[in-house]
Amino acid sequence: MWQRRLLSTNIHKASFEASAPLQNRNLKNRKWAVKQVKKSNFVEALDEIKTHIANSDFVAVSLQKTGAFSSPWQKVLPFDTADIAYFKAKYAAERFQMFQFAVCPFSVKSSKLIAYPYNFHLFPRDELKIGMPSYSFLCQSSYLTAMAREGFDFNACINDGISYLSRAQESAAKDRTGNPLLKYKEIHSPLPKSANSVADSMFVERIKSRIRNWISACQDSEKKTDANADALINSLRKIVSGSEMFGLRSSLTVDVCSDRQVQLVLESLNNFTSVVPLLVPGKEGNTQAVRVVLTTSEEDKVAFEKELQLKEEEHNKRIRGFREVIDLISTSQKPVVAHNLINEFTFLHSKFLAPLPSTINEFRTSLCSIFPYIFDVNHLMMAIGSQRKLNKLSAAISQMKRRFTGQLNVEIPETFGPSDIGGHGRSVLRICELFAKLSLTLSPDAADTAPPTLMSEANIFNPHLSSPSDLLDEDVGISTKDTRRINISDLVFLWGFGEGMSARKLKNLLSSAHEAFSGEFDVRMADTNCAVVVFWNPGFAERFLEIMNSGGMNHEPLKDLISEGVRAASYRTYQRVCEQGLWEADLADALDKALEGTVDHVEANSEQEPLHVSWNSDELINLDDL
Amino acid sequence: MKRLCIFIRAFRKTLPSTRHFCTASSFAIKNVTRSNFEPTLVELRRHVRDADFVAVDLEMTGVTSAPWRECFGFDRSDIQYLKVKDSADKFAVVQFGVCPFRWDPHKQSFIAHPHNFYIFPRQEIKGDDDSLYEFHCQTTSIDFLARYQFDFNTCIRDGISYLSRNQEEEALRRLNERYKDDLPDSLTSVREVLDMKLDRVADILFTERLKNNIAEWLDRLLREGNSGRLETENRSKASSQKMKTIFFKMHPAIDLSGFTLHQLRLIQLIVKKHFKDLVFVSVTNEASCQQHLIVYTESRSDQDLLLREVKDCIRKESEMKIKGAIGFRQVIDLLSSEKKLIVGHNSFLDVAHVYRKFIGPLPSTAKNFVAAVQKYFPFIIDTKVMLNTNSVLETLLKRSSRNTSLSKAFALLCPQIASVEKPSGSDDKYLVKVEVQVDDKRSQNWNSGAKHEAGYDAFMTGCVFAQACSYLCVDFNCHPPSSSWPHNEKLQGYVNHLYLSWINGDIIDLRSGNCKPELTSSRNWKNRCAQILYQNMVVLWGFPSKLKASEIRECFSKAFGSTSVSMIYYLDKTAVFIQFSKEELVSEFLVLKKTLERSNDPISVIHPLSKVLEGGQTCAGNYEAYKSICSSSISKVFFADQADAVGIQWKTQSLGPVPEDEMVPNKNKVLPDSPYQTENVEEVLSNGNNYRDELDSFFPAQAAQLRSR
Repeated sequence: MWQRRLLSTNIHKASFEASAPLQNRNLKNRKWAVKQVKKSNFVEALDEIKTHIANSDFVAVSLQKTGAFSSPWQKVLPFDTADIAYFKAKYAAERFQMFQFAVCPFSVKSSKLIAYPYNFHLFPRDELKIGMPSYSFLCQSSYLTAMAREGFDFNACINDGISYLSRAQESAAKDRTGNPLLKYKEIHSPLPKSANSVADSMFVERIKSRIRNWISACQDSEKKTDANADALINSLRKIVSGSEMFGLRSSLTVDVCSDRQVQLVLESLNNFTSVVPLLVPGKEGNTQAVRVVLTTSEEDKVAFEKELQLKEEEHNKRIRGFREVIDLISTSQKPVVAHNLINEFTFLHSKFLAPLPSTINEFRTSLCSIFPYIFDVNHLMMAIGSQRKLNKLSAAISQMKRRFTGQLNVEIPETFGPSDIGGHGRSVLRICELFAKLSLTLSPDAADTAPPTLMSEANIFNPHLSSPSDLLDEDVGISTKDTRRINISDLVFLWGFGEGMSARKLKNLLSSAHEAFSGEFDVRMADTNCAVVVFWNPGFAERFLEIMNSGGMNHEPLKDLISEGVRAASYRTYQRVCEQGLWEADLADALDKALEGTVDHVEANSEQEPLHVSWNSDELINLDDL
Repeated sequence: MKRLCIFIRAFRKTLPSTRHFCTASSFAIKNVTRSNFEPTLVELRRHVRDADFVAVDLEMTGVTSAPWRECFGFDRSDIQYLKVKDSADKFAVVQFGVCPFRWDPHKQSFIAHPHNFYIFPRQEIKGDDDSLYEFHCQTTSIDFLARYQFDFNTCIRDGISYLSRNQEEEALRRLNERYKDDLPDSLTSVREVLDMKLDRVADILFTERLKNNIAEWLDRLLREGNSGRLETENRSKASSQKMKTIFFKMHPAIDLSGFTLHQLRLIQLIVKKHFKDLVFVSVTNEASCQQHLIVYTESRSDQDLLLREVKDCIRKESEMKIKGAIGFRQVIDLLSSEKKLIVGHNSFLDVAHVYRKFIGPLPSTAKNFVAAVQKYFPFIIDTKVMLNTNSVLETLLKRSSRNTSLSKAFALLCPQIASVEKPSGSDDKYLVKVEVQVDDKRSQNWNSGAKHEAGYDAFMTGCVFAQACSYLCVDFNCHPPSSSWPHNEKLQGYVNHLYLSWINGDIIDLRSGNCKPELTSSRNWKNRCAQILYQNMVVLWGFPSKLKASEIRECFSKAFGSTSVSMIYYLDKTAVFIQFSKEELVSEFLVLKKTLERSNDPISVIHPLSKVLEGGQTCAGNYEAYKSICSSSISKVFFADQADAVGIQWKTQSLGPVPEDEMVPNKNKVLPDSPYQTENVEEVLSNGNNYRDELDSFFPAQAAQLRSR
């Protein structure tokens, strides 16, 4: 009781310290204490975080990557559909690496946010010398420089970072590590008796007699240890029978050359109660030998089996490394909170689960089987009616600061270790705080855990839509005058107009070029050499494309443009670029390549339901920003 | 720790012997970062000018971007070049060792100045090709560097950045493009601004207020024309903090500070719309901060003049910025312009990196590449070639089972430098003295012992070269003009001869671009050789993963006869090379494969090849298909995925005429027989100890990985 009181005062004290600067309304000065975890303190941290995850309502995650996109158009653009956003995120996740992975189990209790922030330093070191988890990875110098500016210690990360294997890699590695261990569980499939041939039974008998001899040799030597003369003979007998030591126990290795023989050996061992068989894996995942370990009694046998189990677990832990944390989050089935879900979870999936599937639907299914609820604070911002997607966490925070009028105190309990505390991975706390404010705004009455209003906002993978129903409805309430919804068939990509073109210049050029541009239309640059044109009048885009494809027949101004090298393509072509991974540095080159590749099946899949994307006049790339 | 031990040992050794020259024999190498780059460069210019030769060495973030990109014995020389090119394209150089050597005839000793440059591809100018600022890291190489105490923090925080010649030209071209049109207002995209719509109430209020403020300011200016009075009056205004009056190029101006970008755009709009005498200007001030001004001009022509002046100023600034971003390339330019003899150890990859990082994109063929290199570096010498092709040196090194890794060669050839113990050999008269100079510290037996640090490796390379020259009886005293070194007739057989790939023993002549196997070859495995016939080869991938080489061979033997397959080489676990005994069998196989896949009758099911084709994913092509897959910039870990990603549409290559490769005179080459068969090269290396350590300098990470297996 007394202890508990002491604990609670500690909490109060810590919460006071954490919330005091909050009153200054100055985020930057606030001391954020995040536990820094490296290889050297990983084991303790793992035990700790296990309890914290179990006792918390949510888990927030945030990744620090070595890069994001190689050229401007390869980042998720406002007019990208969910499919395309996934392809882009997948491409990044497969090439770049992350050096820091922040995990923060937290709970929201009325106006209190109790958080346990951890920041894991990762390095894909090849611990098992099998070319895993990553043969090589890509870095962008700007990302590394930014990390260096924050004082990140690369030497410590590379030397003392925690390695890992994904689930898929682990199962592949098990066969290749060649540890002579621990496959004793899968052996209890009895042989069909009828299948035994004469040769088989001879083999079984030979094994049996060999084992019998070996056991008696071992037991004899134990009984007569003091008799000197016999000791020599016994040790000779042991050598002859091929006995060796497995830990403190005697063992015998029986070489086998087929799976059939493995089963026969195991069958013949059934007659001996005191032995435990182990399978020694060979190079190609087959069994190379059966190691028979002799135990002294029934209790010893149980003890030995337990010992083996522990050893296996330890070995597996070493193999999994940081993934253990991911597995903990997964088994806890707690809702996971992140900022920019699709970017973070494509990384998480490809590094810790399995290679990314080829479609977003498979990805969604695969991910939801591991994490039942995933919240994207970015999406929640839209759910509470934020005008547009705020790509930067800081922007979302400052907007929320204005909107959120309630009280929220951040508490990091003081018991949360004074050692290994540092500033890296702070953003995960910001995500926690933002999420807490958002959930309090969405459902002010629900005190703790996930209220139903919140749950309906989980697992939304589309980076731009506010809810799944958007896909069907024409227009949902979130649209403001800045954002308009457009059918992707009204979008046309245009390129080949030479360098130094701006959206304005191009718009002027086009408006006089063809009557399709007599209606309302907008031009934005997708990157320096490629523009996107939206036709607000339905059908105009199609007509325009038709004329462009016909080479500007009967339309002199367009013919001129075409002869100057201007080309046009539909949104489907852009989809194909991302689908086929034509990640050229310039979007124009990629589109050219996509057009080259597929002359025969132009828009074959026209029966697809029309998709909508949002058009935000502010958000597109401005040429001057490039 | 290791270095400390060496230091203590060295110290103990030198203590009793009262040497009058220098007692401390170990001091830190000259580490160069961006903080001391400029002064070091001045010194280095002098050292390089005086030098007889300059030794260089590089440390990279990786060597091969995928296991199948490693160099194999069955790689034709054009493939070898493609692999080197891929490596130089993908990985970054993080450390650059430069060590000028000068012969001092009075001291009868070389003077060496080892430098260890930390470099990092930090983006210093905008609008550059982004892809030049991303690079691969091979996990094992990074681990390897870490094990040798490489300081990544220094490299990333303080590494010297650089621009290649190509990047610089491109940046200047873009600059010219931007200032090409003579419109004075092109520096601020005013027309873009004019397009802005004022529809937010806040914006309208803000513009009205600002308009009044500016009008007032202008009014007072015209009324009084006295700057002193202006300032005092201005202070009373609420926004005076943000609008200070200053003089800009002899014109009165308002200094706008503390406005947001959006507000500045609004101000720009107001000025353009409502004030004919005022002009909005953005410049970079002395403190290299962006400064926004509203400047008063007396007339239209005055305004134009001012704007032109501002434009020129900005342009000059941008040019300076580009020049400033050249950074480490100045060292390369220095080495190039001095036309000194460049010495490296197994340096073809190093040269490729130098070209890629500091000159421009690599040409697509080795022939074009070496021709381009010759323009910048007319004399390059590879110590590894010297050690392996000269009989005198070879016999010297034979004692230790012919190991020519840099550190081994250094220890054997230069015992007087490598070890603190005085060598007890009889051939003392050949031993070359090397005095090391770092800033004003000098030592005759300097040895930092920091293996795999670029600066120290460059120093070792130079010492090995000097010693090798001594054994070749090159008379150092006979070389008064240091430029005559590359022309010494005793070195003629070695200058500009580099290993294209050490594993294959192919030496490329930089002058002609010709490639031939090394002449005197004592490689013990050359005795048991087999012919590699490229035109007889088929590359096969996507077959069932459980299939072993022996099974594949069996299938082919059954289909084409027992002697049809002469060899099978593993590329990785997803792909194999099959060499047929006859060239016709290549097309025969490809045709048969197509037929088998098309038909689904019982014959094709029981056909011996069906085992290989099982799963329907098996693809096959000839040697040229392999080449086209290698030349792609994509790098997937497994060959089958690579072929897929490269976008090979066919499952079986349709056969056109096989293009003759003009750059490969030795179309068919010789390769060791048994070890390579059915094995991956890597495995061969880990089994045969002979040249494991040779890999050291060229494939540090892999070699380390092999050894630790």
